[in-house]
Amino acid sequence: MISVVHLTKRFRKTTAVNDLSFDVRPGVVTGFLGPNGSGKSTTMRLILGLDFATSGSATVNGKRYRELVQPLREVGALLDAKAVHPGRSARQHLRALAASNRLAARRVDEVLELTGISSVADKKVGTFSMGMSQRLGIAAALLGDPGILLFDEPVNGLDPEGIRWIRDLFQSLAREGRTVFVSSHLMSEMALTAEQIIVIGRGRLITQGSVDELTAGAKSEVYVRARDTSALEDALRTRAVTFRPEGPGFVVASLDAEAIGDLALAAGVALSTLTPQRASLEEVFMDLTADSVEYSASPAAHS
Amino acid sequence: MSTKPTIASVVRSEWIKFRSVRSSVTGVVVTLLLTIGLGALITLAVRSHWSQTDAVRRATFDPVSTSLSGTLFAQFAVGVIGVLFITAEYSSGSIRTSLAAVPQRLHLVAAKALVVGLVVVVVAEVACFVTFLVGQSIFSGVVPTASLSNGAVLRSVIFAGLYLTLLSLVGMGLGLILRQSAASISVFTSLLLILPILTLLLPQSWQNAINRFEPSQLGQSMMSPTPTANTFGAWSAFLILALYTAGVVGVGAGMLERRDH
Ligand SMILES: Nc1ncnc2c1ncn2[C@@H]1O[C@H](COP(=O)(O)OP(=O)(O)OP(=O)(O)O)[C@@H](O)[C@H]1O
Ligand SMILES: [Mg+2]
Repeated sequence: MISVVHLTKRFRKTTAVNDLSFDVRPGVVTGFLGPNGSGKSTTMRLILGLDFATSGSATVNGKRYRELVQPLREVGALLDAKAVHPGRSARQHLRALAASNRLAARRVDEVLELTGISSVADKKVGTFSMGMSQRLGIAAALLGDPGILLFDEPVNGLDPEGIRWIRDLFQSLAREGRTVFVSSHLMSEMALTAEQIIVIGRGRLITQGSVDELTAGAKSEVYVRARDTSALEDALRTRAVTFRPEGPGFVVASLDAEAIGDLALAAGVALSTLTPQRASLEEVFMDLTADSVEYSASPAAHS
Repeated sequence: MSTKPTIASVVRSEWIKFRSVRSSVTGVVVTLLLTIGLGALITLAVRSHWSQTDAVRRATFDPVSTSLSGTLFAQFAVGVIGVLFITAEYSSGSIRTSLAAVPQRLHLVAAKALVVGLVVVVVAEVACFVTFLVGQSIFSGVVPTASLSNGAVLRSVIFAGLYLTLLSLVGMGLGLILRQSAASISVFTSLLLILPILTLLLPQSWQNAINRFEPSQLGQSMMSPTPTANTFGAWSAFLILALYTAGVVGVGAGMLERRDH
């Protein structure tokens, strides 16, 4: 269990995390989503006691991270897969970590095996590919067999095979009853991996809930089409409906399918297609964070 | 098996880190080579020029500190050992992993200092005793020699090794403060080389008062069996340098403790 309570972190002029509160429960994979610069990594560093909060608190199992005596036994984290001394072998890196928390030396071999990097364990980490580095980072996180796991953008730089492996791993870790907290700026990825989602933008909580709740709560649209396209367009326009053309038909945002059917009947337009479109998680995310994208490519940003 | 955390487990971890990178191993070898190799070269040069050496120089000649001259070069090697042990964690980013594993940051500093200090003290003492003995055997028969059976001589050789040990910890402290290899090594080098040059700009009376506080001068005082004019005795020099070291490491530790990572 991770608890973040009114957490705020200000750097000189940027407020990276702003009055953020949420809980991350055990037994499920929780996705931590937000656009670039929204404060995901900062939040994770605050949870791990690496950064000092300006106000508020972050606790793991009810304790501040820095009070943990052998933290690797309670919390495993992967922040940056490349953050390992390039001249050290994977095995030595893990051995040093294990020694610091008095973990059994055999755990090193176990996690090397589990992450599939036993064969390169004695090579210098500097020669590792991104995928191998990510696996080493995950091995380090699992070293102390912790109940809480944090991963910051773990799929970055992985091939589809690697992504699939990581997704399965996270889900099995959660099934074992662990708390699995995974950040990403890709909703599509989280939709496949996570059961619970926490969305932030500009350091603030935007929404949280299960994947189902989030997509259900989103505004849904209806795709509508008629053989007589212009008659349909007129009918929609006279009723001041919000819509946009798409292909041979229209996407209606402000009415549900039933109301559109009634409207068409009243106008004497025969519909050929009437399909409610459930918003994808990706669209929900884009919608939610549209106002809080830090670095948007819009020309207005340059004015 | 899971017992209370001890600094010992963190020291073991740091020891694994220390010996598993090439730069530490290179640093140790270079320290030995510079101390012993250059010591031998310098003593050989003194021996071959002894017949031309004038009476005044012969009178003030100190076979002990002369045979330990290699430490003037080795001091940079041990400084780099200390610096890199810290700054490599920052340049690679592994400092976060280290702090996540050991959130009691001062324990981490203490463990690192113990590892660097113990490694360098062993290496430096071996180097200093070897270079002393090699130097005396080169001098023997031509140049006056000194013997370890003399208490002051023995102290000088031991203190030469301690001088190098303290400097490696100063390097470590600078690494903690500056977090960057090049900057830390520059500052370290400046303290030893540029500071004495800067003081040359001062009036002579000031120089006499200030020079003896310079780290390199303290080193000379530590390695001389008998104090010379305007310098500290060996024990005072040792204590002052130890205070400097504690100051630099203390400031570095304080900054590590307070900083965001
Ligand atoms: N050490 C720091 N000093 C100053 N500003 C910082 C620091 N760390 C982060 N920031 C700022 O805080 C904000 C949040 O950054 P953070 O890295 O937490 O975002 P993120 O959600 O992880 O982004 P990304 O998806 O790009 O990884 C950004 O505006 C960033 O520039
Ligand atoms: Mg980030």
